[in-house]
Amino acid sequence: MRANTHHEPPPLELVNITKRFGSFVANDQVSFKVEPGTFHGLLGENGAGKSTLVKCIMGYHRADEGDIIVDAASREIRSPQDAYQLGIGMVYQHFTVVPAMTVAENLLLARPDLPQVIKWKEERERLSEFLESAPFKVDLDARIADLAAGQKQKVEILKQLYLRNSILILDEPTSVLTPQEADEVLGMLRKMVLAKKLSVLIITHKFREVTGYCDEITVLRKGKLAGGGRVKDLSVPEMAAMMMGEQRRGRTIEKADRKPGSVLLEIKGLRADRDNGVGAVNGLDLQVRAGEIVGISGISGNGQRELVEVLGGQRRATAGEVIVAGKSFHMTRREMWESQFYILPEEPLRNACAPQMSVAENIALRTFDRPPLSRAGILKPRSIRENGRKWIERFKVKTPGENAPIASLSGGNVQRAVLARELGSGTAKVLVAANPCFGLDFGAVDFIHSQLLEARNSGVAVLLVCEDLDELLTLSDRVVVMSGGRLVYEAPVEDADVAVIGEKMAAH
Amino acid sequence: MNQPTDQLGWLGVPLAILAGAVGGGTPFLFVSLGECLTEKSGKINLGLEGVLITGAMTAYAASYKSGSPWFGVLVAGAAGMLLGFIHAWLAQKPKVNDIAVGIGMISFGSGLAFFFGKAFIQPLAPQLPSFDLGGWSANPALKAALKICPLFFLGVGLAFAMDWFFKSTRWGMFVRAVGDKPDAARAMGISVTSVRTLSIVFGSFLGGIGGAYLSLFYPGSWTERVSGGQGFMAVALVIFSRWNPVQCLWASLFFGGAQALGPALQAVGVSGYYYLFNASPYAFTLAVMIATCSSKRSLAGQPGALGSGA
Amino acid sequence: MVADSGGTARRRICFCIQIDMSDSDSTVPESVAAPAAKAGLRRISLPRWRGKLEAVALPAGAIVVSLVLFGLFCAANGKNPFAVFASIDKAAFGSWYAFQNTLVRAAPLMLCALCTAIPIRLGLVIIGNEGALVLGGLCATIIGLKMPSASPASVHIAMALTGAVAGGVWIAAIGALKHYRGVNETICSLLMNYIAIALLSQAVNTWIKDPASLNKPSSYPIPDEQMLQPLGETSIHWGLIFGLIACGIAWFLMQKTTFGFKVRTIGANIRAAQIAGISVGPITVMACFLAGMCPGLAGMVEVAAVQGSANEALNAGYGYSGILVAFLARQNPLGCILISTLLGGLLASGGALQRDHQLPDATILVFEGIVFVVILYSESLYGRWRFFQERTV
Repeated sequence: MRANTHHEPPPLELVNITKRFGSFVANDQVSFKVEPGTFHGLLGENGAGKSTLVKCIMGYHRADEGDIIVDAASREIRSPQDAYQLGIGMVYQHFTVVPAMTVAENLLLARPDLPQVIKWKEERERLSEFLESAPFKVDLDARIADLAAGQKQKVEILKQLYLRNSILILDEPTSVLTPQEADEVLGMLRKMVLAKKLSVLIITHKFREVTGYCDEITVLRKGKLAGGGRVKDLSVPEMAAMMMGEQRRGRTIEKADRKPGSVLLEIKGLRADRDNGVGAVNGLDLQVRAGEIVGISGISGNGQRELVEVLGGQRRATAGEVIVAGKSFHMTRREMWESQFYILPEEPLRNACAPQMSVAENIALRTFDRPPLSRAGILKPRSIRENGRKWIERFKVKTPGENAPIASLSGGNVQRAVLARELGSGTAKVLVAANPCFGLDFGAVDFIHSQLLEARNSGVAVLLVCEDLDELLTLSDRVVVMSGGRLVYEAPVEDADVAVIGEKMAAH
Repeated sequence: MNQPTDQLGWLGVPLAILAGAVGGGTPFLFVSLGECLTEKSGKINLGLEGVLITGAMTAYAASYKSGSPWFGVLVAGAAGMLLGFIHAWLAQKPKVNDIAVGIGMISFGSGLAFFFGKAFIQPLAPQLPSFDLGGWSANPALKAALKICPLFFLGVGLAFAMDWFFKSTRWGMFVRAVGDKPDAARAMGISVTSVRTLSIVFGSFLGGIGGAYLSLFYPGSWTERVSGGQGFMAVALVIFSRWNPVQCLWASLFFGGAQALGPALQAVGVSGYYYLFNASPYAFTLAVMIATCSSKRSLAGQPGALGSGA
Repeated sequence: MVADSGGTARRRICFCIQIDMSDSDSTVPESVAAPAAKAGLRRISLPRWRGKLEAVALPAGAIVVSLVLFGLFCAANGKNPFAVFASIDKAAFGSWYAFQNTLVRAAPLMLCALCTAIPIRLGLVIIGNEGALVLGGLCATIIGLKMPSASPASVHIAMALTGAVAGGVWIAAIGALKHYRGVNETICSLLMNYIAIALLSQAVNTWIKDPASLNKPSSYPIPDEQMLQPLGETSIHWGLIFGLIACGIAWFLMQKTTFGFKVRTIGANIRAAQIAGISVGPITVMACFLAGMCPGLAGMVEVAAVQGSANEALNAGYGYSGILVAFLARQNPLGCILISTLLGGLLASGGALQRDHQLPDATILVFEGIVFVVILYSESLYGRWRFFQERTV
């Protein structure tokens, strides 16, 4: 049985929390307090230490120094069970529901006090009762694998409410929701917070959510406390400044004023299925011209990933055509080389790299079977290494050497290496990029943005798939929205209406 | 257990198949249930063949030494658990390939079994008793066909019990969670390593019992050829049964029957393709796998973490 | 600044810039990068000697540990381990005669090991060596019997090609089923082993049975003149040459050619191979075909140099031992040569162990099992020791 089943959530205070991984300091003397019944935002760019901090609260990590004070007493939180005992629960960025099980089974499984033998009749009654008073409804017998991302997120939140946790930590919970769904979920939670039934600590980078729902914020930068305060006392530029550390420099490369050229990439009536046979891309038509960036926006899960996989030859289309530079394109190696078609998928380590092969070999992946890297089918290892060194230097990839396995590099450097491979030749005609800046720090993000713009300025047709609407609007010349596997909106970026885009994203 | 006699003519064939389904299917049943449990937790155990052989040998030796075949069964289960424990320890180490561990354990298990089993090839060990369900009949073939070992009924009960286990017990749900999404299980505080170790160990326990059946009932003796490859087939059976314990029961009966096809046909004079008929269970499994697998979709019911090294 | 070519200076400046950016998601600790830059050293990339040392030291260590464990096992059974080792050494390597015996047994192992060692570079675990060997031997026999009046050389070539192609097609089918139908290759190869053995049994017992062979059903024999003769005065047959050449070619193919690069990329990450436009299906089938040719050839040699006819002795377990060799050699074809020789020596000493120490032939199996388990454990030790990690000099 739980030690504390509060009617009112207790205060949660962190005092001088420090967490090190070897010589790397993830959190450095961080202190802040979540008052009972408040909506507290935790801000910071990627790598600032937010996830590590909340993992310390949840008991996944043990802080090396500092105290966690819940309800005026310092607590030892050694595992999620301990956190649960204190009424603290977390909704993660990556789903922690079991796909093969039903909603009911998942809710039960989350309970630490689940009996050895489950009496289903009783449990179902209790679950139905709980659902009556819950802020949203879900079908108890639906299998998680069949649910959409937004519904899965709701199940995650319901799980926490079912466990009667009174302090809820949310890690970027709305990244898979439409703006309307996000509003619905956050609105419900805020109501419970105002009724003093819940305290919420939300990790977010969306200022919209901060200004709309948070009472207070705490900002981290590079592991240290960089600021905080009441939302109504702060402006968005001030919050951004706390996050970034200095005013961001203007982009060094501007979008050159140019008219797009001929159509280099054309997608006609494309259809493709997900792994489970359900349709993902349902008749997509799109054109990308030389010298323009077309940005595909949309909530993840609407077929963007499958579209990029089809273009990269990782998934077979069930119907439709892809035409590059006027010729039918089947994603073969020869066609890619002849049409100078390059692609930078998301999660490059998983999708575009051979992890244990060296950086040089990965950089050579598109050209290893051509001179000078090989001759008559025989590889020339020295040339491959030299080639690798050249690109490592030009794209500033930080690595112990060109022979290091690419898996040992950090995310940003893997991305640089892959970018070197895809953009380095300078002869690219078509480039497809998917979430290229996901999870990277601002230095890497700026670099990638400038590379994309440079490519666009020199006449490359760029198709950019991006879940971050702000980033997309900054880079694109034309914006389209993908929803339910189709394009539902298209406009030049100057005419793009964010409200309409948000609505269109939701139409699934 | 005797083969149906020629007196029955062609009627002997379905009878033999039925007898084979139960008699030959029992070891299949135990290894497939054991493998099913293991795979539900997300780990593949290809080493059940080694467990089977070790189980057969230890059961025989223990039965011989102690005079009690049931003691032999227990010892076989224990031997299985020991091998399972080694497998679980190795297979959960980083960078170690599951399939390689399975093959290694076959080598290790059968090596030890053949070494220590040399002394037991000649002696006769007490066999497991059987229920004479054909006692009412005067026909010796029918009687022989209906001699069923209690282990069969144990296996049947186990299949249904395991199904209930997965649906309605805490530990059963843990196994399913760990096998489908280990990250989710970890987030809930479930120890993925412990659950998998226990699943592999209990799975091997069942495999050991399957081996005991081979040496203490049918074929009822210990030699180096006691196994008909049932351990190897366990993985195929589980795929065939879509990771459902009750389906494992039907699949095992089917395989037992298919194995009896060759000898049954030979007894009625159809010996032309004897050897090919002997390969029918394997050919059939292959055909089913080709027909039902797809490179695009994962099979329905397959635990999410299986084969991905998660 | 060290006076040097412009390239070096540029590289070093780049280094300094890297430090200043203080990328927060860096994996290179500043303590390592900084001194190198300060000392103005040129970054030298030694061709991965540390990694290569690790690849040799760990398996060698594993074999030593296995010997210790096996020694303990012998002692626990009342045998003096050192005497046992001495017997093995003598029977395997003690004399030229013994060594020939070893090499004869090693030859089929080399060929069969490649059937596992090559596809594993694709990421496929195939254990169909036995089936390919048996089928290769059977098909070679059938062709050989159809050429009673041809010259020995042409018979050999025909049989070798047939055996190799039969084995190749058999394993290529497994690769194709895996790629195009998603059928698990390990189970598939296992099932096909049984099917191949059944085909062999059926053939030698009925279709091509020599009525004169009663005790041991066999096909009609290959005439003596057409058998593969041993090399010179030794008892070693051509299988050894085939084995050595095959392993050499396999190593070269995998490490030094673009085909091998494609194979390795597929094995490392199939999605990366796809995105690079590498045609995964055809390459998978081709690599499996090449892999299957080897045990097919071994089957042909078994028939043409040893047995003289196709019979159930073809199903002798070479295929299975080949799997073991491949894993012990860590899938390196050159390593397969060494491990096959060691294992061949071990197998050759079975008789001596029985005679001198009353140890059953299953003792060898126990040793094989111990080595297998220890080698697998050693796999988890890669990358654990800093000594073997790549460094910036």
